[in-house]
Amino acid sequence: MILLEPNSYVLEETLLARFNSEKHEVVDITLVDFDNVIYHVQTQAEQRNLLTLGVEMKYFNEVVQYGANEILQREYGPYLSSSASGQYQITLEFNLDSLPEDKAGLAKHVSMLKRNVLASPFVRAFEYWESQQEGAGPLMATHYREDEAIYVQAQQDRVTVIFSTLFREEVDRVLGRVFLQEFVDARRQASIQNAPQVFYSSREAPLEIRHLPGLKQDESVGYVSFVLFPRHFADADVREKTISQIQLFRDYLHYHIKCAKAYMHSRMRTRVTSFLKVINRAKPDRTTATSEKRTATGRYFRPQFRQASASPQLGGESEW
Amino acid sequence: MSKLPPVVIDNGTGYTKMGFAGNTDPQFVIPTVIGLPNKSRYGIASKRGIEDLDFHIGDEATKNSKAYGLDYPIRHGQIENWDHMERYWEQSIFKYMRCEPEDHYFLLTEPPLNAPENREQMAEIFFESFNVQGMYIAVQAVLALAASWTAKNSQQTLTGTVIDSGDGVTHVIPVAEGYVLGSSIKHIPIAGRDITGFVQQLLRDHGETSIPPEDSLEIARRIKEQYSYTSHDMANEFLKFDQDPVKYYQQFDAVNSVNQHTYKVDVGYERFLAPEVFFNPELVSSDFLTPLPDVVDTCIQVSPIDTRRGLYSNIVLSGGSTMFKGFGKRLQRDIKRIVDGRIKKSEDLSGGNLQARPIDVNVIAHKKQRYAVWFGGSIMACTDQFYQFSHSKAEYEEYGPSICRHNRVFDSLA
Repeated sequence: MILLEPNSYVLEETLLARFNSEKHEVVDITLVDFDNVIYHVQTQAEQRNLLTLGVEMKYFNEVVQYGANEILQREYGPYLSSSASGQYQITLEFNLDSLPEDKAGLAKHVSMLKRNVLASPFVRAFEYWESQQEGAGPLMATHYREDEAIYVQAQQDRVTVIFSTLFREEVDRVLGRVFLQEFVDARRQASIQNAPQVFYSSREAPLEIRHLPGLKQDESVGYVSFVLFPRHFADADVREKTISQIQLFRDYLHYHIKCAKAYMHSRMRTRVTSFLKVINRAKPDRTTATSEKRTATGRYFRPQFRQASASPQLGGESEW
Repeated sequence: MSKLPPVVIDNGTGYTKMGFAGNTDPQFVIPTVIGLPNKSRYGIASKRGIEDLDFHIGDEATKNSKAYGLDYPIRHGQIENWDHMERYWEQSIFKYMRCEPEDHYFLLTEPPLNAPENREQMAEIFFESFNVQGMYIAVQAVLALAASWTAKNSQQTLTGTVIDSGDGVTHVIPVAEGYVLGSSIKHIPIAGRDITGFVQQLLRDHGETSIPPEDSLEIARRIKEQYSYTSHDMANEFLKFDQDPVKYYQQFDAVNSVNQHTYKVDVGYERFLAPEVFFNPELVSSDFLTPLPDVVDTCIQVSPIDTRRGLYSNIVLSGGSTMFKGFGKRLQRDIKRIVDGRIKKSEDLSGGNLQARPIDVNVIAHKKQRYAVWFGGSIMACTDQFYQFSHSKAEYEEYGPSICRHNRVFDSLA
């Protein structure tokens, strides 16, 4: 598994199990997605055929400004519930008795919810580009985690996406830097010339966002900028793919840092076992050195070199 | 910021149960198996690309078993291959649970009598590779006890005997105040797999020729799960079946997996004979002949004398093979019979001078038996104490993996 899936597998499975179950059991399930998104799947005891999915998303208020509501309305219109309750920013309701034929498709579609919501700043930026306006578009920030944000800005000929990411661990930071360096190098290969340009800077924020107040300026912060050109978003299919992949970049990066560590650990384990083998081989073999062998006549037999090196009193035991 | 729920992962020999704490059922139950590319042309040192990411876990691994070699990283409850286990976790966290481990606490499980070194290894992997916020490693048997607290007749203590019967092996584990009495643990080499095999044999014996050989094991397993019940008395049950076959025989509608034809399978004696294997092991085994109630009784009798009453009064079932209807009742009756017999004998020997206080025998069955260990973990990780008992990343960095040798639940005892 190199890439992370854009949809939430656990949400898809959970919903599908509910959709397909004959009996409507009362359920109350809490699930989590990347970037502090919490899903709450539940049915009430008095109304068992009504399944509600509450989504807790910290940054929802931000993405609303970029048109998240329109996207939700378009994608999940019939299921969207207006009764926004307490901690849930988004609530979907499903009537289990009147579901469409393609239950698997619906579950899959709903599991893309987080991706679709987070797509709104990207969609807005691409639309800005399509409108052919002069100058740069608005800078859209989404604080998708504490102290970490995605900035999207459309320009006349390109769209810039900047991730700020936080490395809590020293080791992660080093690995992250190496990893991002590889990105730059890998782009030189002929086969991936079309990939967006990537810049990485730690500490120093890129020029586009340097004027923003409250940016963290220390060793633990890294900024990754992608420059998307029209070839990445002019075509509708390519555009969707670009959005799916780029918004998971942060999780992708952290996933691969962890995989890299796991890989190094297995290298270390292999090395330790091979060293252990060497050490074990170097151990003097006690059993053969002291075991006394008899000749056919019943006499004791000792190798010649033992006698030569053995001290007189030790040699005295021998019967020859 | 509201706290994200802890992640509970129970890695068993056969299956891994994982999910978020607070839920009543695990989100995923997948085989603990990893599928790695068959050709290992490159040694581990000559890796050039991303070969180490090319693997599958769980059901996907078994599905792709033609191109990928399968490896079971856990043997007899203990993790044997750490390389594979680390990668197994990597994918279960990022692909299946889909969470950022840095944001969560983790609750993991270990078998009783696990070596502290294994626990340290686990801590190293979770703190170093995954940077988890904190983790707690719980003993499976203790979690199974905690899971029984939801039962109606439960006494909500951490003293009790756990009968854990999964697919491969059955354990009887006495636990006193959350402490596993390692020296008294008993194992029985009979579990789910043997019972399925036995049902399969019975079906073959009474001439169910319509079952295609490739489906035979699966059909046997489903018949075992759907129709079995524990009888009071085997001889009596045979009589009942013979007198009124219409009432007791049942028909199982099966579908041929290849040509989709439906056919019927008669289900007869195997209905009550399947769970009987625990009470009369001679049905399937020629070398292990001690019935389960006897094993439980011996297990408690070799435990410290001051814990025995508690152990008898709280016998908890866990694992899929204890799900048979009436299993708890039958077990309770049989153990009670043994215990009462022994008391009566000692009273007789004393010539009627001594009166023993009767011993309470309680077998507790509950709804969450199948994934009891996971469910217990889910309950435990929801409590506030969980965060006090678990080891945090800061402590790990201060003291190293040896923090996991100590379990803070027992602090009050010292």
